Amino acid sequence: MTLALDALLALALLALALGAVAGAALFRSIVMFIVFGVVLALAWGRIGAPDLALAEAAIGAGLTGALLLVSYRRLVRTTPRRTPRSRPAARLALPLGLLSAALVLGLGASGFGLEDTTTAGAGTVAVPSTAGQAVLAEMASLPLDNPVTAVLLIFRGYDTLLELTVLLAAYLGARLALGGSPPLSARSAPAALPMVGALLAIVVPLSALVSLHLLHAGSDAPGGAFQGGAVLAAAGVLLVLSGRLRAIGSAPTSQRLLLVLGTLTFLGFALAARLVGAALFTLPGMWAIYLIESALLLSIALTLVLLFAAGGGLAWGRE
Amino acid sequence: MSLLMMSGSGAVYLLAAAGIIGIGVYGLLSADHLLRKLLAMNLLGSGVLLLLVTLASRGGTPDPVSHALVLTGLVVTVSVTAFALALLDRLYRETGEIRIDAASDDPPDPADPADAKP
Repeated sequence: MTLALDALLALALLALALGAVAGAALFRSIVMFIVFGVVLALAWGRIGAPDLALAEAAIGAGLTGALLLVSYRRLVRTTPRRTPRSRPAARLALPLGLLSAALVLGLGASGFGLEDTTTAGAGTVAVPSTAGQAVLAEMASLPLDNPVTAVLLIFRGYDTLLELTVLLAAYLGARLALGGSPPLSARSAPAALPMVGALLAIVVPLSALVSLHLLHAGSDAPGGAFQGGAVLAAAGVLLVLSGRLRAIGSAPTSQRLLLVLGTLTFLGFALAARLVGAALFTLPGMWAIYLIESALLLSIALTLVLLFAAGGGLAWGRE
Repeated sequence: MSLLMMSGSGAVYLLAAAGIIGIGVYGLLSADHLLRKLLAMNLLGSGVLLLLVTLASRGGTPDPVSHALVLTGLVVTVSVTAFALALLDRLYRETGEIRIDAASDDPPDPADPADAKP
């Protein structure tokens, strides 16, 4: 029964991926991709990765989908449709695609093979055979109960810091690519529609609440700053779409500070540990983790909304 | 080591990951619209992440290090996508084109009305 469910999810993933790549209309392809993200989130829930399921649904399907759709709106409406010509790369596409699939299948199968040999030898080897097992062995001595959050903030803090920097670099890169010019305006829904205001009055506070819950839950249950930030960003995206927030050319100082708040807070704690003689990225306790995660949440949410709005900063109201 | 020896669900998701990566590579090479290429690139990335997560849970208890790595991968993917879309926006403003064959050595065909700049 469970195998049938997994097989159904896998088939749906393949069909949606094919639809996203080979569909005739680009709009339909984008919608297929968004549904693909939702089904992938279900699949990750099945494989035992609820943190990733939350992140995939909020970031992978939700925000990436919103980004693609708004770009479609900006870019595609004036581009004429035509039949694709055969190019040399296109002729090689099918064999190379099949080859890649076979290669991945081989790699994956040998990965499963590795697992078998380590469990066979586990009786004789006392040390944990993978980093993940080492983390799980250390979990009892930590104030956190969610091993993924522990890895993100305690064991691999450096990775998380650089991940934030990548997000910041994407924002700066996008600003550079757009040349500081005011964003192409995507037409937004008329603000005067009564249903829009009523919907926002429910959804925006609820998103803020869910995002705070995810942040708080992240210490001992699925959730965390990234998932919470993405949910908060979704509320921001709604406000931009409905004309309550608009993109402006450059960010006011408060928003610039908010953009780097997460990176600076994390970096500050990492370096402060060095000053008191502890190892880099040693955090003094749960309060530090909550403080860092809150700063991360705010920075991530603002960066994602600004990437969506394709602007340097945000301002209330219409132009 | 044969596919039959794996746990059932693991094999199913491994096959799905391989299929998605294959479809992603095919789409990346065959699409001429840059937005569609970006879509295929995202699919390719999702396939790789699915492969990682499937391998992470092969031993019964999921590996938290792989999960954190994939979470990082998701955030990096959305960053790259947003940056690529900004580049597309700029390309469209500069050239009025968002198809790859306009930028290649394939000269525009004057008889094809679709090659005329909008």
